[in-house]
Amino acid sequence: MLARTVTHALVGLEPRRVEVEAHIQQGKLSAFAIVGLADRACQEAKARVRSSVLAAELVWPSPCRITINLAPASLRKEGSGFDLPIALAVLAASAQLPEGALEGHAAFGELGLDGRLRPVPGALVAAEGARRAGLAHLVCAAESAPEVALAGVDPVGVRHLGEAVAYLRGEHEPPEPAPPADDFEALAGVPDLADVRGQERARRALEIAAAGVHNLLLAGPPGTGKTMLARRLPGLLPLLDDEASLEVSRIHSVAAVLPPGAGLVRVPPFRAPHHSTSVAGLIGGGGASVRPGEASLAHRGVLFLDELPEFQRPALEALRQPLEDGVVSVSRVATRAVFPARFQLIGAMNLCPCGGRGDSAASCACSPERVQRYRERLSRALLDRFDLVLAVPRPRGHELAGPEAERSGEVRERVLAARVRLRERPATRTASADALLTRAVERLPLSGRGRARVARVASSVAALAGADHVEPEHVAEALSYRPPVELAA
Amino acid sequence: MSELAVALFAASTGSHLLEEPRSLRFARFRASLDEPGFLRDLEHRGLRWVARGASGYPARLRSIHDPPPGLFVRGDAPLDLLGRTAVAVVGARACSGYGSAVAFELGRELARAGVLVVSGLARGVDAAAHRGALEGGETVAVLGCGVDRDYPRAHATLAAAIATRGLIVSEYPPGVEPSPWRFPARNRVVAGLCDATVVVEARERSGALITADLALDEGREVLAVPGEITSNLSRGTNALLRLGATPVTSVDDVLAAVGATRAAPVERAALEPRLAAVRAAVADAPAAADEVVRRTGLAPGAAAAALAELELLGVVVHADGLYREVVPSS
Repeated sequence: MLARTVTHALVGLEPRRVEVEAHIQQGKLSAFAIVGLADRACQEAKARVRSSVLAAELVWPSPCRITINLAPASLRKEGSGFDLPIALAVLAASAQLPEGALEGHAAFGELGLDGRLRPVPGALVAAEGARRAGLAHLVCAAESAPEVALAGVDPVGVRHLGEAVAYLRGEHEPPEPAPPADDFEALAGVPDLADVRGQERARRALEIAAAGVHNLLLAGPPGTGKTMLARRLPGLLPLLDDEASLEVSRIHSVAAVLPPGAGLVRVPPFRAPHHSTSVAGLIGGGGASVRPGEASLAHRGVLFLDELPEFQRPALEALRQPLEDGVVSVSRVATRAVFPARFQLIGAMNLCPCGGRGDSAASCACSPERVQRYRERLSRALLDRFDLVLAVPRPRGHELAGPEAERSGEVRERVLAARVRLRERPATRTASADALLTRAVERLPLSGRGRARVARVASSVAALAGADHVEPEHVAEALSYRPPVELAA
Repeated sequence: MSELAVALFAASTGSHLLEEPRSLRFARFRASLDEPGFLRDLEHRGLRWVARGASGYPARLRSIHDPPPGLFVRGDAPLDLLGRTAVAVVGARACSGYGSAVAFELGRELARAGVLVVSGLARGVDAAAHRGALEGGETVAVLGCGVDRDYPRAHATLAAAIATRGLIVSEYPPGVEPSPWRFPARNRVVAGLCDATVVVEARERSGALITADLALDEGREVLAVPGEITSNLSRGTNALLRLGATPVTSVDDVLAAVGATRAAPVERAALEPRLAAVRAAVADAPAAADEVVRRTGLAPGAAAAALAELELLGVVVHADGLYREVVPSS
């Protein structure tokens, strides 16, 4: 007897159709083989599938020679998502499912020894594969059902192999997944800018960065609220549109960081990897399987790198490709994957290795050479990517005790208006604004690139002000966010 | 005597020489040296050599007790620049924002008054003094290595700017690497080139104090910028004051010491009220931009714009998040 189920393997972020064929041959000896480039976790499916079938009080065909083929055989299959389709194929091949019951169904999920179904990362991508293959239903773990629903495929969320079989026999109807939380609730978890007391300049820079999608570098002694500020950036950004949202959710699904039941990612993601993160951790990679890195998890959102100079140099240099092209391509022996990685970069650093510099309450004991070495860890090429560079001094006591500042919502309104303006009617510089810019290039150490940066930031400042032209005061403000000589030289 | 041979021999043997040594080694060195060829090569690289005996050699330097046999010179300015009234502005490399602001301001105002500003191209005070001087006029950097060496590397751009407006000089031939023992020797050239030496910030055992000592030995004026008595960076300068150095309370004190007069103040009254208010907010003490926002009541964006404009006008400087006024309002 031969039966077939359809499932999808992940290659990077793309689903690849995999047909699971089960062949059962009556014989004297029992044998169970999986062929078709299956990795270890896949091979182990044998034990899980067999126990699950027995645990579901179904019949394990025996004595029989059972062969499972995962086609196409040329594609490497990994992970435990094949458990369920293998089990269903065996059951269909042994006539324990009604004929044609698997028609229009894909399956995806890991089985426990007791037959319980476990969610596997990448359910959203598998569901998209099912939709593209013209399959209307996807049998999956109940926890994955909301994710599957997002892809426009009818989820059959089940808790147990027995439940799946009951459904396929037409004896059981799985419950509808809960509707995802709406936007308002989604934003509720993002910290509010009102918590940041004082720091008017930094707040302003954050607003400009949000309006013009500029990368921002915050330099200042520890404890001045650099991280706190960065965490509040997603709350100032527009929510993701449908396309972006699906794109981001897909990445998060594959990396298994999509919170259960939260629905599509609507709020721009915020990722803050530790400075010990490896190159692979930052831009993606891994062993044979290629997983998205932090740069891709921050796609359409914010990548926050605290203690920027402490990151390994190769990791920082690897960020230059996504900063330039918005994608990361990772090649491994067996696979090559391209992950989208268009993020806004927020960097934070101390002004010196000991952290005392720029802090009125501490003194810095670093030698000039040590400070220089610390700052030289950032390549010129990377520094060039920061449109806004800000020295964040320690706020005074009375500032921290001051009244509550403006809320994120109000700032966000201005940012949204500025974004519309920048898209629809980009302002042109007036002659006097141009003159100021030229004077700055002559007067300050400002390179050609620096000039372009200032011009970009000035446009965002003008858009925030709702001005039709970029005036000298906008250029002047943009100039105040240029990197200080110590960092630029 | 051949000063060039002495200079080259000293550099190749790593010794400090002022006169021709009576050694066989030197005789052999001199015999094998192709002086005209070396000079042609030097000229080819756009560098000059001024021997102690030559007319271009600065008289003030010749009068110290151990004048270098000659100077290698990089830069386009005429050599008589070195004959101008000159002031050395020296100090700590790890200076504070205050130190670099003062050095910058002294450098600029002295240069504006037509005084030549001399320093050592080091980090901190030296670099700030050079930068300030370039805004107002000419400056000379004295190196403890070859003039082609741009040491420290971070100051390559600054060195190039000095070479176009002023001069970079050294007693060591091109190619000589910086090494610690050469810096005190360099300091004697800094002090020797100048009528007066101003120490801006110095710790207790700072190289700048060596320069001051050397200046005193030669009977040159020594001035020091007072600092906070609680700061390590003021130990050296305050100790100099205690010993009788002239305190620098404004650039006028320095100008008086060398007999120069201040250049006419440049468009001081031209500040519009908005900028004047922001300037007033940083006049008493250096302030962060947020402090300026609070004192002036301006929006953060407007305050940032005003600070940048003042920076462009050269009225305030910015370091490590703090803005400070460099030109007192009077």
